[in-house]
Order: sequence, then C-alpha cells, then structure tokens
Amino acid sequence: MITQPDHVPERLALLPASAADRFLTEQLLKAEQVHGGIDLAKVVEPLPEDDARWAVEPIRSLVEDAIFEFRDDRTRADAWLAPRLHATLRLTRREAADKRLWTHLALAVAPDYVAWRHLSEPTAARPERRIPAERFQGPADRQCFSRLWWAAELFRNGPDYEPVEVACGNQDLIHTVLRRDLIDHRPTAQALVRLVKSGKIATGREINGLSVAITAAGATLVYDVLAPDEPRDPGPLRNWIAEAETAPPVSRHVLPDGPDEDPVPEDSVALLVDHFTELFETAPIRGRKSEI
Amino acid sequence: MKIYPYKRLNRPITFRVTSVSLKLADGTRDQLDTSAYSTQQQAVALGVAGHDDWVSATIGLSATLPPGADAPDAAWSDVRVLAVLVDGETNVRTTTDLTRDAEDSRDWSGFLELLRDDHLGRASLIIYAAGTVDGVAGRSIAETDRSWIVDTVSDEPVSGLQLEVRKASFTKSSREWLRAYADVPWIVDTSARVPTVFVNTDVEGIVGLLDSSGSGVESKVRDLLVAQMATDVWTAVFHGAIGDLEIEPGGNPVFPTDWQGEVLREMLPDVVPGVHVEEALRQVHRRRTGDSGWAELQTRIHYAAIRRAEASRALGYAIRSLEQANRESEK
Repeated sequence: MITQPDHVPERLALLPASAADRFLTEQLLKAEQVHGGIDLAKVVEPLPEDDARWAVEPIRSLVEDAIFEFRDDRTRADAWLAPRLHATLRLTRREAADKRLWTHLALAVAPDYVAWRHLSEPTAARPERRIPAERFQGPADRQCFSRLWWAAELFRNGPDYEPVEVACGNQDLIHTVLRRDLIDHRPTAQALVRLVKSGKIATGREINGLSVAITAAGATLVYDVLAPDEPRDPGPLRNWIAEAETAPPVSRHVLPDGPDEDPVPEDSVALLVDHFTELFETAPIRGRKSEI
Repeated sequence: MKIYPYKRLNRPITFRVTSVSLKLADGTRDQLDTSAYSTQQQAVALGVAGHDDWVSATIGLSATLPPGADAPDAAWSDVRVLAVLVDGETNVRTTTDLTRDAEDSRDWSGFLELLRDDHLGRASLIIYAAGTVDGVAGRSIAETDRSWIVDTVSDEPVSGLQLEVRKASFTKSSREWLRAYADVPWIVDTSARVPTVFVNTDVEGIVGLLDSSGSGVESKVRDLLVAQMATDVWTAVFHGAIGDLEIEPGGNPVFPTDWQGEVLREMLPDVVPGVHVEEALRQVHRRRTGDSGWAELQTRIHYAAIRRAEASRALGYAIRSLEQANRESEK
C-alpha cells in the first residue's frame, strides 16, 4: 500500500485532466508506488493566495483520522467523512463543480486515502488488486472525494448533516441516486433518506427500482407543485463560507453544523414519503417475489 | 410518443425571454440589452456585458399555453405555470411561479432569479403547466418541447455547444503540461469546463493567420484550418463522452447531464442514423465495450465530426478561392 507523497502541497489547487494523466501510472493504480509530488506541483493552476479555505492541513488530518478510525471497515468511513469534509472544505456549488479541484485533492494531497478506500479486493475473476482511475479523476458521483462532498451537499437538511450519515451509510443509495436528476429536488432527497432510515428500502435493487419509478412518475407529476421547496437564500451559505477563515477544526465525535439554511418544508417531505411508499409497493423490483 | 393515463394538452407551451438583468456585487443592477438573449437560438448569454462580479441574474419570461388550456370544460383545475431551471453540473434546480397576465388570457409571465454561485456553465430552462386532474394535484398538463439554454459565462447567445480557443506558447506557457506537445500547432483538451483548443503560438504566423479577417485566400485557408481543428475537437469530445458514460445496473448507459450529453445528442443521429438517440447511445456503448464493431464505427464518428465542423463548406470555399487566384495570375 502506498503512503502520502514525499511532497504534499500546502494549498489546494486546480489540476486539469490533461496534466493529471501522466501521474495516473500503473504503479499508482495498483497502489504500489506514488509520485514524489514535486513534478506534480509544477503543473497545477493555483487558487487565490488570500483564501484560507484552500489550506490542505485540515483535510489531510481528517483523512488520516478516517484511515485510523475505520481501519477494520473502510466502507463505513464514507458516512463519517462526508459531512466533515463538507464542513471543512466550504464551497459554492459552482466551485465544487470544477473537477480539477477534486483531481488535485485525490492525486496531490491524499492519494493514500484513495488507495486505502478504493483498492479492489481480489476476486476469482480479478485477482489483481486495483484502484479504478475514476476514483482519482472522474465523474462527480464516482471520484473519491467529490462523491462524498456532493452526497453531503444534496442530502443535508439545511444545517443538519444527520440525513447525510444515513445516506452515506447505504452504498447503494449514494451510488444509484447521486447521478440522477431527481435528487436535485430537496424534498425528494429527504424523503428517500427517510425511507432508507425506516428500513422500507434497503437493497440496491429496491433503491434502483424506486428511483426508476420516481423518474417515470415525474413525467406526469410536477414534484415542485406537489411538494414545494423554499426558494434558496444565498446569504447563509455566503456567511458560512466567509466563516471558514476562523472556523475551528470539525469535531471528530459529534456532527458539525452546515450552513444555516432553512430546512426542507416538513409537509413536503411527509407527503413524498407517503407517495414514494405507494410507488414502491407497486413498482416492479427485480428479484422481489410478487405477492399473489 | 408518450401515453398519459389522464387528459393533457397535446401541444407544447411556447415561451420567450423578455428581459435579462444582473445584480452586481456593489448592489447595483445592470439591465442587459437584447444581445444577451436570442429567441431564434433559444439561448441566454449572461457574459455579454463582461461583468465577472455579478451575484445574481433575473430573467423575465413570457409563456403562452396552447389552445384549450382555459377551455370551460377542461379536465383540469387549479392551473399553475412554473419556470424550472436545471443545471446538471451543479445539481441546482430553481423554480418560480409565473402569473397569469389577465383573467381570461393564456399568457403567463414572471421572473426567474438565479445565483451565480450555483452555476459553472450552462443550465436549461423549461416551462411546465400543472393542474389538478381527476383529483390528483400536480399533474403535468403541458410543457415546452425545447428548453432554452442559459449560459452563465458565454458572451454570445447560441444554443449549440461553443468551443473555447486559447492561444498559448507551448514552450513557455505556465501550463507546463503543454510543453510535451511543443511540436504541434494545436492540441485539444476535453477535460475542461468546455472543450478547449490550445493553439500553439510558437508556430510562426499561426496567430496572424487565425486572426486574419479580409476576404482573400488567406481567410479561406483560415476557415479550412478552423474546420480541421473543429473536426479534431468533435472527434475527441465524442470519444471522451462515450468513455465517461455512467452505466445503470441493468447495463444501459445513462445520458450525461452536462455538455457531454449535448455533444452526444448532436452527433449520435449521424453516428447511428434512424433510431432514437437513447437507442443510438446503447448501440454505441455496446460496440465499444463488446467484442466487435467499435473499429467499424470510427468512420461514422469521423463523418459526424466532419459534418459538425462544416468542413465541406470550408473546403469548397478554399478551393474556389484558389481557382480564382490561379485564374488571375494566368491573366
């Protein structure tokens, strides 16, 4: 297993895919050897000097704690790290949509975490252990860190990260749902989490079947009318980002607070929970025995 | 055609953008002129005024429901009309209610506000009409058939995907990775926000040629060169998009929601003609990941790229221009 590079940068930067490519070596993807860091530092595009948010140290220390804490069950690290990464690296969605930031974080700052979390277990069909390249540089819902950040952003209920813990505790949920548009509607995201939390849906097939049914029903139902959300107020997020300058490290033991935005209207969530329950009971789910 | 289990309007909603203004960081507002939006292109370009410090944009909208929406015997009640802005890159969904212009009018209008912090590039704008049908609230009864594009960066309202062209000295650029490509005149980068062509200014005369405007042979050669670059770009972005596809558990590929999806939707009809784009995407994905057929498909991909790049036209004009020049020199 690899360790961190000899040279870890002090500040986050942007690493374009074209520049990142030559560092994604076979040895790295097999977790045998990592680059030294010096050459990589030469090809990044820097972020503004005067912004405290780009300091690497708080993130580095978070991932090291995650590796230690979850050494026996690395999958569980997602639910712990997602809210804490989100509260540490305070971004607008515009900033978070820039894949170059995540590529830099994975490749320059914490390749050892990517390897620890995503190196495949040997199987009969694929005996060679390997890290999928998309965990370093890839779609937002697959890349090692951006998937956690986006899961936290899309599943948090205003400042409350508790739904994020639930969502990230179910690999199938974040794997299946993150890439679908339906989750852009906050009440839908909260209703899905409630169904997972109550145990109504659990397996990948159930979650996938339900999300297909929600999308299909969405062609005839306008969820924004059925279950309205509050308009976004940009103020609380801006303040929260500005406070990054003085914010202490996030607690390792209790959940941090997110931006002080309004929670999702409870009526809308409750209505969708009922609606989805009904959809789920009639949806065709692969592998589910039909009740006759 | 989709089948709905209830009555709907069978024609789409039409709508247009009527005004665009930006709220700037200092609290002032800049009303953009009509060059910021195009009804023909169905696009809004928020970059036209050159502000890079705006906080939010307000888009004025006017929508017309199809005939029958207000019929006294309509199957729906409590009609509401909503403008919805969705951004696949940032997962932002912004909705706003439109209000009816007059008691018995089919025209509805309103303002949609979007925040700059919520978007990186392009978002799409759709209008829905919803009502209560057979006791079910929130039924969709009509929508627009084509969305508008709201580009938060571009300075030109065009619906098609824009390529970015950047000039750089490959040997001296601060982008060190360009140095590995110092011996070629241009390189395509498909990993950026929009596909980008880097033109190598170390190649003597290339900048002069690309910037030439006149009408002589030089400008025809320039157009030919641009068409060649564009062919490269389209080929590269198609492969990039196909290579990054998300696969559903059932094995079917998912249409990307960002510009890669736009590229695929534009090119697939030429790559796999005669089928829906969803089916075309499945076929292309099968061929790439399956045992055979990927090599055979390259010709079609190349064909689609050349068509997008309008290379035939550029070549035609270049040849005619050369013929003219030859004729004149023979005189």
